[in-house]
Amino acid sequence: MSASEPTDGLGPWRQFLCRACGLIYDEAEGDADSGIAPGTRFADIPDDWVCPVCGVTKTDFEPYRRRAPAALTEVAPVPPRRRGVVIVGAGIGGWSVAEAIRSWDADIPITVVTSCAGDIYHKPELSVALGRGLSPEKLLRETGGAAAARLGLRLMADTVAVGLAPERRRLRTTRGILPYTHLVLAHGARPALPPGLDPALCWRVNDFTAWAALHAELARGPRRVAVVGAGMVGCELAEDLARAGHGVTLIGAAGLPLPELLPEAAGRRLLAALEGLGIAYRGQTLVRGLTRAPGGDVALALDDGSSLAAQTVIAATGLATPSRLVQAAGLAFDRGIAVDPQTLRTSRADIFALGDCISLGGQPCRFIEPVARQAEVIAYGILGRPHEGYAHSAPVIRLKTRSLPIEWHGLPAPGLAWDVVEESGDRLAMVQRRAGEVVSRLVA
Amino acid sequence: MSSALALRSAHDSAGPDRFDAAILAGVAAIADGPLAAAAGAIDQGSYPLDLMGQLAEAGALGAHLDRHGARFGLAIAAMQTASRACGATGFLMWCHDVCGLYMEQSGNPALTGAALADHVAGRSFGGTALSNPMKAFAGIEPILLRATPAPGGYRVSGMLPWVSHIGEGQYCGAIAGVVSAGETITHEIMFLLRCDRAELRPCPHFSGMEGTSTWGLRLDDYFVGPDDMIADPARPFIGRIRAAFILLQCGMGLGVAEGSLGAMHAVEETLGHVNQFLDDRPDEIAGELADLRGRVMQLARTPYDGATDYLIDVLDARAQTSDLALRAAQSSLLHQGARGYLMSSAPQRRIRESHFVAIVTPAIKHLRKEMARLSREVMPA
Repeated sequence: MSASEPTDGLGPWRQFLCRACGLIYDEAEGDADSGIAPGTRFADIPDDWVCPVCGVTKTDFEPYRRRAPAALTEVAPVPPRRRGVVIVGAGIGGWSVAEAIRSWDADIPITVVTSCAGDIYHKPELSVALGRGLSPEKLLRETGGAAAARLGLRLMADTVAVGLAPERRRLRTTRGILPYTHLVLAHGARPALPPGLDPALCWRVNDFTAWAALHAELARGPRRVAVVGAGMVGCELAEDLARAGHGVTLIGAAGLPLPELLPEAAGRRLLAALEGLGIAYRGQTLVRGLTRAPGGDVALALDDGSSLAAQTVIAATGLATPSRLVQAAGLAFDRGIAVDPQTLRTSRADIFALGDCISLGGQPCRFIEPVARQAEVIAYGILGRPHEGYAHSAPVIRLKTRSLPIEWHGLPAPGLAWDVVEESGDRLAMVQRRAGEVVSRLVA
Repeated sequence: MSSALALRSAHDSAGPDRFDAAILAGVAAIADGPLAAAAGAIDQGSYPLDLMGQLAEAGALGAHLDRHGARFGLAIAAMQTASRACGATGFLMWCHDVCGLYMEQSGNPALTGAALADHVAGRSFGGTALSNPMKAFAGIEPILLRATPAPGGYRVSGMLPWVSHIGEGQYCGAIAGVVSAGETITHEIMFLLRCDRAELRPCPHFSGMEGTSTWGLRLDDYFVGPDDMIADPARPFIGRIRAAFILLQCGMGLGVAEGSLGAMHAVEETLGHVNQFLDDRPDEIAGELADLRGRVMQLARTPYDGATDYLIDVLDARAQTSDLALRAAQSSLLHQGARGYLMSSAPQRRIRESHFVAIVTPAIKHLRKEMARLSREVMPA
């Protein structure tokens, strides 16, 4: 029974929510159990009336406004009855494995679990997009939902992998437990923040979501930006920000940028190029702490006792592979998920890993070039197809600073001397030799 | 798990300073004897304070406290042992255990002296009213008790729907939002709420576990003075004990799963020829139970570890105890068939106990939401 439309001139019937148990009192329905007739306004209910379910009083009710339904469109509610491949991570590594499997097998069930939306973008563009005036929409190549439909797989977006039982082949996630036949870990690495850098006060640009949020902040107009960390990402972002019209201070721990990869002569050239774009470099400086200053600026406390104010702070202080999930499951971990260098299997044969989250011989390799080859090896391994195996080689590394692009062939060896092989006003080439053999070469 | 503290008075005839094995043997004797016999009546509404007194005497209700060696693993194992006979009693043990934890960790001399000694010995009883504030802190619902500053303390009003292990002469830990000018909550206080100065209102009937003495609790201008203050402000205190609070609950789910496993084994000889066609067979449940118990015991070594990764591990283990209890109870009834479906049967009761394990705060859905939140990177707003 419910009352017809109200005639008391107080507007439509309203609903009130019990804050304790979620019962909704609907004025049109009343509360028959307590003798409240249909069509009784909430205000007219006696004060000693209590919630018919949980017994709290009238004062614990609040006007009920319908919430927007949660966006669940990309989360299938029911796990597949058939086990199959579960991929953790929807970055380039995760999607590459899915593509590689589908190019040979259209039927094997694939589930991709990702803590983000799973949208596809080209990660190296994130550090050069501001200067090119690219928007998030421009960077987005395909939505996760569209890619999932194209590849015929199940995408579980906004879902975190929290636990792993390798002996039972079950992955525990924040949206349920997934059985698998093969598991692929492609969850990447996470920005590692030194103590003192409050994560709520500094951005890290390691994925599309974070970049898009930073883009929104920077789109308000030219800002004073401090970039903490003068490694590859820090240098690229500093230049990109400067090109986009922001005032940039780049803070590095050493006297020159990129100390791990560049000998002094090349470091000087890079510094001059960055300074030529108006970037101020603060070398031999560590940031001890961040605080929100009155007026909205972030104050950076530096280790020489001085401080610096910026409207936006970006930390580019390196990456680390999260270890909780894999270590709790007993998988070998050594600065990354330890994998066989040929098969990319972890210490469990039915669990593979690739991309930023792995380590080969204790060395992480966080470059994009090997990922496609790694994905192919894994797809072959899962489908039982013969493959000659993954052969790791140091990728060509490029620093995408247009003011001074730098390229490395062969990973520089720390502590080994550099020899100049070519030097002119606009070109510098140097090599590292071990027993007369060139092990690394850079061209700036 | 025996600690030096446990050795100190190992020859006492009773109490929580005895050896682990002695405490567990005492709990097992109660669980397999009088508690198993009373489980049906407790499910129907009989509040087993006498058995709780016996469990306290056996040393089961204080082993996790610092003063008795901080043996969280032992407290969980005792809760598991009781829960395999009666999930409701396991829940009462958890209520009682965390209330003792609040009192000890408060550092308030008025709560850590004779009051705590009486609590641990089962001379007095008290539970916990933190379901609402725990959900409020996770952004799931608004806080229901409101406090206003008053000379010498606070005055608290409001209504909590379902609070267990309380009654005449009993008490519970509670949290209220402090409202100063206007409606804004400035911070929260945590205090020991004396039931004799509050109104206890009957609750609607639940589908089971009716013997947990669960009431609606109404406060009207209730005065909280320094002697009953557990923490002001409450949030840092909750942050410190949160993992321990959740981890202790694992004893319930492990016990319900273990009881269910026992019921499967009991019919294996007679019904194994058909039960072999079922999912979640005893060997599978036993293996998972052993693994999960091992993980819980490992986590129980460092209950005050403040790392986010540790907290996620605890939430994950707690969620898994719910999942395992649900599957084990379900499978146990299917293994027993019609006899398990009798209203008086233990497998039937454990189905409802396992549902309780999965919905009591933190419910599976809350645990998952919190794990997702804790896993997200913090970024500038």
